[in-house]
Amino acid sequence: MPKNNKGPLTYEEALALSKKTRQTVIPTLCGMCGPTMGCGVYAFVKDGIFTKVSGMKESPINHGALCAKGFVAPQWVYSPDRLKTPLQRIGEKGEGRFREITWNEALEIIAGTLKHQKEKYGPETLAMLSPAKRSYSDYLYRFLIAHGSPNYGHSGICAIQKMFSFMYTVGGNLRGCDYQNADVILIWGRQPIYSGPSQGSARALVKAKQRGAKIITIKPSVEADGGFADIWVPIRPGTDAALALAMLHVVVNEDLIDHEFVDTWCYGYDKLKEHIQLYTPAWAETITGVPAGQIIHVARIYGKAEKAGIDLGNGVEHAPSANDAIRAVTILIAITGHLDRPGGNLFPPSGEMPTPKSVHLRERYTREWVDKLVGPEFPKAFQPFVEGTSSAYYRIFDSVLTEKPYPIRTIIAPGTQPTVSTRGSKRVVEALKKLDFYVVADVARTADMDYADIVIPLATPYETDHPFEARGNWIMARNRVIEPLADYKSMYEFILDLGAQMGYGADFWNGSMMDSMNDQLTPFNMTIDELRRHPTGIKYKSMPRTYENYREFFSKNSPGLSGKPFLPHGKVEIYNTTFEEEGFNPLPEWREPPESMTGTPELVKDYPLILSDYHTSKLYTASWQRNVPHLREIMPYPTLHIHPDAALRRGINNDDWIIVESPHGWMKVKAEIYEGIRPDTVMILHGWWQGCVELGIRDFPILDGGANANNMYSVDPDKAFDPLITAMSSQTLVQVRKA
Amino acid sequence: MPLQYGFVFDPSKCIQCHSCEMACKSWRDVELGIHWRQVKNIWENHYPEVTCVSVSVACMHCVEPECIKACPEEAIQKLPGNGIVIVDKEKCIGCRTCLDACPFGVPQFGEDEKMQKCDMCIQEIEYQNELPPCVRACPTQALLFEETEEERKKVMEQSVQALLSR
Ligand code: SF4
Ligand code: SF4
Ligand code: SF4
Repeated sequence: MPKNNKGPLTYEEALALSKKTRQTVIPTLCGMCGPTMGCGVYAFVKDGIFTKVSGMKESPINHGALCAKGFVAPQWVYSPDRLKTPLQRIGEKGEGRFREITWNEALEIIAGTLKHQKEKYGPETLAMLSPAKRSYSDYLYRFLIAHGSPNYGHSGICAIQKMFSFMYTVGGNLRGCDYQNADVILIWGRQPIYSGPSQGSARALVKAKQRGAKIITIKPSVEADGGFADIWVPIRPGTDAALALAMLHVVVNEDLIDHEFVDTWCYGYDKLKEHIQLYTPAWAETITGVPAGQIIHVARIYGKAEKAGIDLGNGVEHAPSANDAIRAVTILIAITGHLDRPGGNLFPPSGEMPTPKSVHLRERYTREWVDKLVGPEFPKAFQPFVEGTSSAYYRIFDSVLTEKPYPIRTIIAPGTQPTVSTRGSKRVVEALKKLDFYVVADVARTADMDYADIVIPLATPYETDHPFEARGNWIMARNRVIEPLADYKSMYEFILDLGAQMGYGADFWNGSMMDSMNDQLTPFNMTIDELRRHPTGIKYKSMPRTYENYREFFSKNSPGLSGKPFLPHGKVEIYNTTFEEEGFNPLPEWREPPESMTGTPELVKDYPLILSDYHTSKLYTASWQRNVPHLREIMPYPTLHIHPDAALRRGINNDDWIIVESPHGWMKVKAEIYEGIRPDTVMILHGWWQGCVELGIRDFPILDGGANANNMYSVDPDKAFDPLITAMSSQTLVQVRKA
Repeated sequence: MPLQYGFVFDPSKCIQCHSCEMACKSWRDVELGIHWRQVKNIWENHYPEVTCVSVSVACMHCVEPECIKACPEEAIQKLPGNGIVIVDKEKCIGCRTCLDACPFGVPQFGEDEKMQKCDMCIQEIEYQNELPPCVRACPTQALLFEETEEERKKVMEQSVQALLSR
């Protein structure tokens, strides 16, 4: 009889199991939502075939748990959708005709084109599109800097926008909240369950709930998290700023304020007090669709609770009022006395682990460099921000079409799919048709590779032994599970080889990833071989948690060229003089999405429902992995979540094919009759295009008639983006009918 | 009283991550289209008071299995000693009578058209001193495995049945 519920496998147990089942076991890091510091895993190999995955108990990130994706890595690695060799386009753009070429040919063609363009038009005409934050992001930066371009194209949908607004308000990034100690938790525009279920947040939520914490969830629809919520605040998509402003109205006017904190540590409270009088709960009700009574109720619960935290998610980063929303929430946290206090929103902790030496070449940035940005993600005065200089992803495509201020001539898309990942798919396709040179690098077919001049086939993280990963207090070497299945290199090797081919070898360890890793490990006094001898990595101690670290964080300097502090008064910038100097509103305001119930009431007759999309799902990473049959079985078709009343009115039944039409495009998807959504709102997961060979499901069109939510939204430069942080809106109005 | 193996499921801890389902599919090489374990969402009440509850369900290896009573070919048996319910594919004629009889909708029919379902990873448990992969995968301990008494197991059956019929 087994020991009851001893939980996930340790290395010893994994070894024992592998012996009994005649397999080998390789400790490594999951690569299904990265590569990044993913979850620790044990990969099992039988007769040279990667067969199974189990969670690594020793890992302080996942403690042995894995999400659904983690288990099915072998299906992803062996997918018929994998690219096989480098390809060169021989047909028209979009036609999908290629010839197979060698790695050397591919590198020569790319380097030849880049050298020519650098000489003729300047190095800044190269842009690299950012995938999500990846372990290779800094290598992309390094290549751009060695080449001479500031144009890293970052997509304003995830994490960085929030970080910007947090840091320019309180000097530190407020990731998550203190689930362990909070009595009240507001989950706001976030999905703590599907955003890394195997990592901290889902377990923290379950524990908080079991302990009796009050959970309030603020979002247009609920998923499994609805089962944990004591109160659901069903807000219309894209109206978070209005809700946050009204909550400020309540706490200020009902004096639920920590006056001592405000007097000592806040700048501009009096101006806020005056300013927010406009934003009454009744005003917010018309915009957000949340009853005024509920707004007041929730603001009071939060304002009165001593230990209350707000777990703010990427949902709030998808609106033209994103900066206002994030700033208003941050101010709410601060003035109610919940900043860096037990149960509240905490500044990032520190630990004893050294930081690996960066591969970024940030020290080379100059004013002239910043001036060359083709379409800054943040205004130039705020560049570079924490990750480096950046242009907004969509502005890179705009520059191709408008040639203003100059046209980008080469775009490299490393692990990102612009036609399905950024708003305005029609414009992206137009730009890709016009673009001089387009390079796609990925492990499997991508949505837009038919427009690529060169396609680079990458190894999955299971077919490489690099990089090592370090996060929090844990550092671990990635180990190769199987030899590459075809002529693959990793993204790192591709960048290093391209650097060498360009003549930048000295900046690229002359093509040696081993040297690169050893270089980065200098602060650890360790080589990669030495690190590799620790099968489950090395854990360092975390420092005991301290609170009220105001002096430290309120005096932090920004990473901008000026090096000015984030907070010029050394206090919470309720009234933001830095923004004011640059011509932006110093206090949070309300700005309508490009199309909405209250902003464009004239459209409501023809388009009576609000559409938005989900950023995360329990099964897929962004627009990838629809080709993995075990995942696809659970969610085979793109489904629109629609409330039973809205469906009934249209004669729509569960699983019916339906047409969803906005002023900008249309989709053909399936209906999922869904109780947990506002009746005036419909939602769909973003990123649908890929078929699944094993299940006989074909690709969907990328533009009209497909299932691509990005094709549905406005990309009007004056309305669809946050003017300061270039967050992109993902709200529009739609009509829905049976297909 | 003899002890039996059983699953214990606590809906208040389940986050619907589907990890148990995926661990089962991948570790047991379950064929496409077949689910030995399934995670379901069940809505409760109506907007705006709507909430939901989860259930992760595989064969309950019932104390008094309805499938066994229903099977005309005596293809299903409950093993003495551990209470695991298994199917003899040689005897099964694919009539699906067991599917109608099972209160949990468990029996599945794939390529070979014979009944298949969770066998509680009898190999892993009995011979390798292991936990079933589905249980090992659960990040919140919503799904547990235990050796238990008939009475307690019956209560578990009733509670999962109650969840499914909500
Ligand atoms: S198949 Fe159904 S009836 Fe038979 S033991 Fe399993 S759960 Fe019980
Ligand atoms: S016990 Fe084994 S066969 Fe049964 S559901 Fe769990 S993993 Fe699948
Ligand atoms: S693994 Fe656990 S939490 Fe996840 S769906 Fe299964 S029972 Fe629920």
